[in-house]
Amino acid sequence: MPNKDQNDESRDGNMPDLGDAIDILTFSQILEMDDSEDDREFSKSIVYGFFEQAEETFDKMDSALKSRDLDELYRLGHFLKGSSATVGLTKVKDSCEKIQRYGKKENVDGTPEPDEDLCLSRIKTTLSTVKSEYADAEKTLKNFFNST
Amino acid sequence: MGDIDTADLWDLSPVPTLVLSPACRIERVSNGFLDLWKRQREEFVGKDVFNALYAGSLFERFDRIPLTRSIEVAIDTRKVQLCYSACSVDGTSWSARVIPIFKNDKLLALVLGWELVENSLGDAAVDLAHNMLSADETFRLLIQAVKDYAIFLLDTRGYVATWNAGAELLKGYERTDIIGKHFSTFYGEEDLRAGKPERELEICLRDGRAQDEGWRYRKDGSRFWANVVITTVYRNGVHVGFGKVTRDLTERRNAELQLVQAYEESAKLKNDFLANMSHEIRTPLHGMLSACTLLLDTALTPNQRDMADLIAESGQVLLQVINSILDYSKIVSGSVSMSSVPVDIAGIMSSVIRNVQVRLRPEVHLQLDLSPELPKAIKGDPLRFRQIVQNIVDNAVKFTEEGWVSVQTSVVAEDETTCTIQTNVTDTGIGVQVTDATVQNLYKPFIQLEQSINKRFQGTGLGLSIAKSLVELMDGQLGYRPNPTRHGSVFWFTAKFTKIPEKNVEHETSLQLRLKASDEDASSILQRLREIAPRKRILAAEDNLINQKVLVRMLHSFRFSQIDIVGNGAEAVSMLNDSSGMYDLILMDISMPVMDGFEATAKLRASGVKLPIIAMTAYALAGDMEKVLRNGMDDYIVKPMDRNVLLQKLLKWLDTTG
Repeated sequence: MPNKDQNDESRDGNMPDLGDAIDILTFSQILEMDDSEDDREFSKSIVYGFFEQAEETFDKMDSALKSRDLDELYRLGHFLKGSSATVGLTKVKDSCEKIQRYGKKENVDGTPEPDEDLCLSRIKTTLSTVKSEYADAEKTLKNFFNST
Repeated sequence: MGDIDTADLWDLSPVPTLVLSPACRIERVSNGFLDLWKRQREEFVGKDVFNALYAGSLFERFDRIPLTRSIEVAIDTRKVQLCYSACSVDGTSWSARVIPIFKNDKLLALVLGWELVENSLGDAAVDLAHNMLSADETFRLLIQAVKDYAIFLLDTRGYVATWNAGAELLKGYERTDIIGKHFSTFYGEEDLRAGKPERELEICLRDGRAQDEGWRYRKDGSRFWANVVITTVYRNGVHVGFGKVTRDLTERRNAELQLVQAYEESAKLKNDFLANMSHEIRTPLHGMLSACTLLLDTALTPNQRDMADLIAESGQVLLQVINSILDYSKIVSGSVSMSSVPVDIAGIMSSVIRNVQVRLRPEVHLQLDLSPELPKAIKGDPLRFRQIVQNIVDNAVKFTEEGWVSVQTSVVAEDETTCTIQTNVTDTGIGVQVTDATVQNLYKPFIQLEQSINKRFQGTGLGLSIAKSLVELMDGQLGYRPNPTRHGSVFWFTAKFTKIPEKNVEHETSLQLRLKASDEDASSILQRLREIAPRKRILAAEDNLINQKVLVRMLHSFRFSQIDIVGNGAEAVSMLNDSSGMYDLILMDISMPVMDGFEATAKLRASGVKLPIIAMTAYALAGDMEKVLRNGMDDYIVKPMDRNVLLQKLLKWLDTTG
């Protein structure tokens, strides 16, 4: 466990350019778990592991959308919501939550939405949004890890 | 007189005589008695009179009833009593004249003088109809002819003297089978064990009449539901027997049972119908309301906006109505269960008051008075408690157009393990016109007292009846009285809570103190956890690989080394079934494939696993915490997990030295 002051410095020093796509507090918690700031072995494995998971999940969402499988979309939305929250990708997390709701045939506020076509079309829109949100975050994070 | 030994007088009297002590012990027996009854003096002297006379008879407890009663009456009235056919000896019936002998107010002795009952010949079957009890011929024919009622004449001790044709039909016995048999033969074993037949005779002797409904048995063992009336029969003031009229009410009873069943079924159907309808209405209503919200977000003319507002508002009212009907049907069907988790009374009260503020008319003042003695460490159902408070306070605010509403909560009773909390809600509203009828109606479902023509107040009239049922589920009471100072109402209710044992309280407060902590304390928490972590083993159920990795890393940084991770609830359950003793704590994700966290927790709790279970959940609404606790989990932590929060929760549940 690196000492706390050091981390606070690194937080202030290294991350102002992460923008609003990433929740600094959550993300820095993961950075704090690194044994050494020089190679960032742990946080890097988490983040790159997340990239892999996210891309796989988006692929699965695309095919679930094609086969109009709302249950599967609900499950996938929930799945990616969990990991994106842990890494601190707030926007991706929020969009995943929307997909989860639509997949469960609900509106964003949790009220039921029986119209499946409407749910599927909402998911389609949200899926393209979340992909671009993810792309932004991925770029930012890759830059971050390449520069350290 | 001087030379006569008065004691000899009794012995030598030709009248068969027994002299009893006030406690009914036989003191003397006359020679005449011994001669006539052909018995020895030793069989009587010094014995209890009832034992001496009746011991050995199959129906001993019935045989003694008439004599017991006569002796009681003789002592009470200090007059001579004739006990007709008090005893049977070798087929001969004897009546006893009971003479109480008093000196001043003290009972000295009881003298029983015996005389033969005329014509009392024949077996135990004493056909009284032809002697003492012989009825007028016309009446005899009448009684004989009645077929729908079984009419018996019993002698003083309950033996059947005669009966009518109806009795033969009803009981299935032949006349010859039953004459002389004891009437208790018709009773079921359970009634006999409970002493029902003898009690009926005793009641009958005391009150002149006894009535009963119950199963009676025919000769073939089949049973019927009988209504039985027993009446004492006197002749010239002397008790000579009992009249017993039995009616077969089996059909009526069946009809009654069917009615009750039909009623229960229709009540259930009504409630099911209400519940189903409410549910079915709620779904499209949600759709309408969300559509309306979207509509309100678009560009509308002022006129259109007014109408859309009206739709939204009415929709909300309709939704409330439907929700309370659903609630009501749940309570009526008994499917409401109460949870037992820590309750923060003060917090709930303040939050209800805050919520209701928006509906308050500007002319009305609302105040909350919380007793400083309100306990902090109690357990109960916070949601239901809130619902009751909300309901009553809403009512007060709804019916108060000016003045004030005051809410007051305090402890009214407590013992070692429980604590009763009373809440009074006083208003200056329309009040309740109290008559006996209206007080009854207050809590009846679907009835609103205020029934003026323009029906100023909306509502289903279910509020109070729901609140009352919930209060009763909390071992409390709900009541009403008029506002003592001015026009208005006071509604009050009590609710019982369980105290949390002091040891745990100290643990919790000392921990809370530590948690309030500055950074220095935070590092001491970490230090403490790091001391105990190496000896503790944790099971975590989490389906997402990324989250698994981060969680394990965090736990490692707290110096936990024994961590098992599974990907769903079913695996967690099977891990614990194999080796539940190995773990100290479970971290449980809520939504997982195969088996979710709630189901897994329920399974674990059902199989007796008492380990602390901390939910890890992305839900963050206020009610979710309560849902987690209600489902058998001990605590929860919101995702994404904050390292410090996880640290505190782990220490709270693992540090048993507290």
